[in-house]
Parts: sequence; C-alpha cells; structure tokens
Amino acid sequence: MAAQPSLAYRVKQRSRAQALGDVGNRLLPYLYLAPALFFISLFVLWPVARAFYNSLYDGNLLFPYREYVGPERYVDLLTNARFHQILIQSGYYLLLMLAGAFVLPVLLAIVTLNVTQREVGIFQSVFFLPTVIAANIAVSVWVWFYNPTGGLFNTVMKAFGAEPVTWLRNKDTVIPAVALVAIWKQFGFHYLIALAGLKSVPNDLIQAAAVDGANNRTISRRIILPLFGPTALFLLVITLIQGLEFTFVPIEVLTRGGPAGASSNLIYSIYQEGFRTFRVGLASAQSVVLIVLFGGLAYVQYRMLERNVQYDR
Amino acid sequence: MTASASERLASRVILLVALLVVVTPLVYLVGLSFKAPEGIFANPMAPFSWPLDLTNYRNVLAQMNVPKFFLNSLIYAGGVTLGQLLLAIPAAFAFSYYHFRFKNLLMSLVLISLIVPFVVTYVPNYLLLARWGLLNSLVGMIIPMLGISVGFGIFLLRQSFQTFPKEVFDAACIDGANSWQVLWRVLAPASLAPIVSVAIYVFIITWNRFIWPLLVGGGDPASYTMTVAVDIYYNNPESGSNWGNLMAASVVSTVPTMLMYIALRKQILRTFTEGAVKG
Repeated sequence: MAAQPSLAYRVKQRSRAQALGDVGNRLLPYLYLAPALFFISLFVLWPVARAFYNSLYDGNLLFPYREYVGPERYVDLLTNARFHQILIQSGYYLLLMLAGAFVLPVLLAIVTLNVTQREVGIFQSVFFLPTVIAANIAVSVWVWFYNPTGGLFNTVMKAFGAEPVTWLRNKDTVIPAVALVAIWKQFGFHYLIALAGLKSVPNDLIQAAAVDGANNRTISRRIILPLFGPTALFLLVITLIQGLEFTFVPIEVLTRGGPAGASSNLIYSIYQEGFRTFRVGLASAQSVVLIVLFGGLAYVQYRMLERNVQYDR
Repeated sequence: MTASASERLASRVILLVALLVVVTPLVYLVGLSFKAPEGIFANPMAPFSWPLDLTNYRNVLAQMNVPKFFLNSLIYAGGVTLGQLLLAIPAAFAFSYYHFRFKNLLMSLVLISLIVPFVVTYVPNYLLLARWGLLNSLVGMIIPMLGISVGFGIFLLRQSFQTFPKEVFDAACIDGANSWQVLWRVLAPASLAPIVSVAIYVFIITWNRFIWPLLVGGGDPASYTMTVAVDIYYNNPESGSNWGNLMAASVVSTVPTMLMYIALRKQILRTFTEGAVKG
C-alpha cells in the first residue's frame, strides 16, 4: 500500500515552488478528517472516557449530586452476588449466540456450497429478511408466539400432548427464549458473511487440488478451512461483541429483564441502571467492565489476524 | 468442489427447513395483521384466516398520525444518512489518498468507535442533549448518530476509493483542479455505486433504530419515529398488547425498508458483506 506515491506526494512535487501551498497540502488530510473525527470523539470516544471517570463517583441522572467513591466501586461491583449473576447470564447468552449466530450460519454456508447459484440467491435473500426489519417490530410477533395461552408454541405443545410452558416467566426457559429471537434476527447477516468468505476461496486452487487427486474431505480441511480462517475469526469476534447487543431489544420487548432479573445481562443491566434507576456511577462501572472485556476480545482478534499466514494467489 | 446427488438433496432439505424457520415469524406478522381482532387467538396454527380483515389497518390509520411519524422517520434516517456521507466521504478520501503522521492511529480510533457498545454512549449523550435543550427533537436525535456509526461508512468507502485509478487524479491535477474539486467532481461522481450502497445501509439501519429514538424522542408525540410510535401505541406487556393493531402498525412501518430491500437486494447484500470479508 505504501509503495505507490500518493496524490499528496505528487501534488507536493508539482507545487514544490509554492512553499505556502506545500504547508497547506500537508495539513489537507487532517482537514478532511477533522469533521468526522470531531463527531466520533464527541459522541463515542468522550463518552467512553466519561464512563471511566463517572464510575468513580456516585451520581444520579436526574439530580445534580455527586460523591466520590473511588476504586472501591469496583471492589463492591466485582464482589456483588447480583453482578455475578449478571455475568453468568451474559455468558449463557453468549454461548447460545455462539451456537446460533456463529456455528449454525457457518455450517449452513458450507452446506450451501452444494446447491446451485440460483438457489443460493433465494436462500441469501430470505435469510436476510429479518435483518431489514426494525428489531422491536420483528420481536413483537415473538411475544405472540410465546403467549402462554393461545400462542403458537403452546398450541403446538398441546397438539403433542405436552403441558403448556410460560416461556417468558420461567427462569429456566427465559434466556433461551430471548436468545432464539436474537439469533433469528442476526442469523442471516452472519450466514451472508460466512458464505462470502467461503466463496472468496479461489476456485483454481480447489480444482488444482482435485486434479492432483485430493478428495472432498482433504480439500475442505487443507484448502477451504485455512483460507476461510480470517472470515471465521471475524465472525466469531463480532458474534461475541455484538451478541449481547442483539439481545437488548428482545429483552426490552419480551421481558424487561424479568422474571426477577433472570433474563438480564451486562448490556441490559447498564441500560437499566442508567435509565431506569438513574444510578450513573453504577452504570458507568458496569460499562467499564464491558469495555475492558470487548477491548480484550478485539485485541485478541487483531493479534490473531496479524499472525495469520497470508496465502498468495 | 463437486457434491454427489444425495449430498445435494440433503443440503437442499436442510436449507429449506432453515428457510421455513426464518420465514414463519414474518408470515405470522403479516397474517395476524389481517385477522379480525376477536379472532387473533382462534386458530394459532393458521397464520391467515379468510377473508382478510382490514379492521386493524383502519384502527391504526385512525389512532396514529401515520403520515407525521413516517415523515419523522424519513427526516431522522435521511438526516443521519446525508450527514454521515458528508463526513465519511472526505475522511475516506484522506485515508485512501494521503500519507500523513498518525494515519494508523486515527484509523484505529475510527475502528474502535465501531466496537463501543451503544449503551456506553447513550447515557452521556442523553445528558449532553438535555443540557443543549435538544431532547424531544429530531435534530437532537440526528446529531449524535453522526458520530456513532459513521466509522462504518469511512471504512467501506476507503476500501472502494483505494481501488480508484490514480492516473485520473494526476490528469485532473494537471488540469489545475485542487484536491477539493478532485474529491467532489471526480472521485465522488465516479464512486456513486459504493456511495449509494453505504447510503442505503445507513438509511435502513437508522430507520430501524428503536432505543435511541425512544430515549431522545419518546417524550413528545411530535418527535416519535415509526418504530417508537408502534411501541408506545400498541405494545403493552403489562395490560396485554392489542395484537392485531400492533401487527398492522408493524407492517406499515416496515414497508419502506422492505421495498428498498426488494428493489436493491443485490446491492444491499453486497454492501453488508463487503466490509466483513475484505476487512
């Protein structure tokens, strides 16, 4: 990338005589970047910095009072049994999201390699449909599905002679029920990415291997999977990072974190502390925990991608 | 890779089952909106009941100021799309054509902004809007969104700008154009396809946003977007939702993005995958 002389360089060459223009040209890229970076800094990066700061204080969203708590906040938070519960439930959500929004789309994308191009178009388009619909709207029909009396699921259960289940009021079923909705909403997008990644494996490599007498299994294991690695890693990380976010609206519409907090997770809990109970300090401390976890994940992905072998075409 | 006939058949069956699971909720969403209010739980196994009943749609149009909320959604999504393009195009230009100090650091900041969870930013941004007196206004709804996901547009446009032939620039420069003119008169018109793709992506995502418009605009019907209005008018978990009306309002609010998707399906699917695979 750095090998080609840039426009700036060429422009600089051309106008070397004009010293003023030269300084201007060196400032140009920063001027082009400034507006976007201003908005990103003000509305994304600054709030992150604020979260670190606010977490050290006790504050209220509605009343302007604040009291220094200090690092003790984190000792309290990390030894709090309720917070442990939130973390465990977040982990449970992520496990389900990994199964439904990572493993399943990748498997289905692999299966898709066996069907014709026209069929691929149909499956892609239909799987993607839930992504195009607003989350709260897409979720509302699931509320009806889960309705204990007369909803679709219990009607089907009854047809098979099973007892009706209060899907969203039962501690054992509520997280899978909510996660299913989030998976349904997100599945098509991840399927699309997985499929595009699989298809980017150059065909001539596969054919060359086949000519050399490699069977399908060898081709899959030795050629497709290694080249698919970076896409799979990307998908894995966005599933982990966005997994909890995608459960947010389903939780808000289906359960509001209930029953008794049994379907809450880290993201939903931050929202509740911030906007329902207005405890900014607590919400901020939880935000910091979340940022540290996500930052760690992103860093791991970055390192792994760096280490990844580059295959020349 | 060649698959045997039985493998192909099995693959098809698996995919068809998945397709059925994905589509069922959508079929019910539409079907329930056409059921008479008293018949909504009559036969749960049948998504549609004949004849189609338009009562729900009549109720929605009578109870909700649909044109107003539609317009709000349009201003919100359109404003964010336009604003993000105006920010992202020059930024992507800088990242793809110039070499400068801190380039990698600044690009990392852009990428980091994409993985910051929205709940982290919503409280501080809400407080900021409250201080500026911009709560319950579309302007207040739009402005923070210009920072929150603009990184994606920068990232995608940078990818496509990098493939643009540099010779064209030299020609324009020799003809006496400055970089600002090159950007808007040469590069932008020539990159219309990726720019439109990003615009569609941002528009759909923004039109569909729910929590942010609810927080900022949920206090005053004058600033409800469609997603917020559907929730406030018809979704009431405590006292029981009015299912038929809820579904009808949902269908109405989904029409624009669905039409966009149907019309521009190929381009949209390409945009959504591009960043992922190339990155």
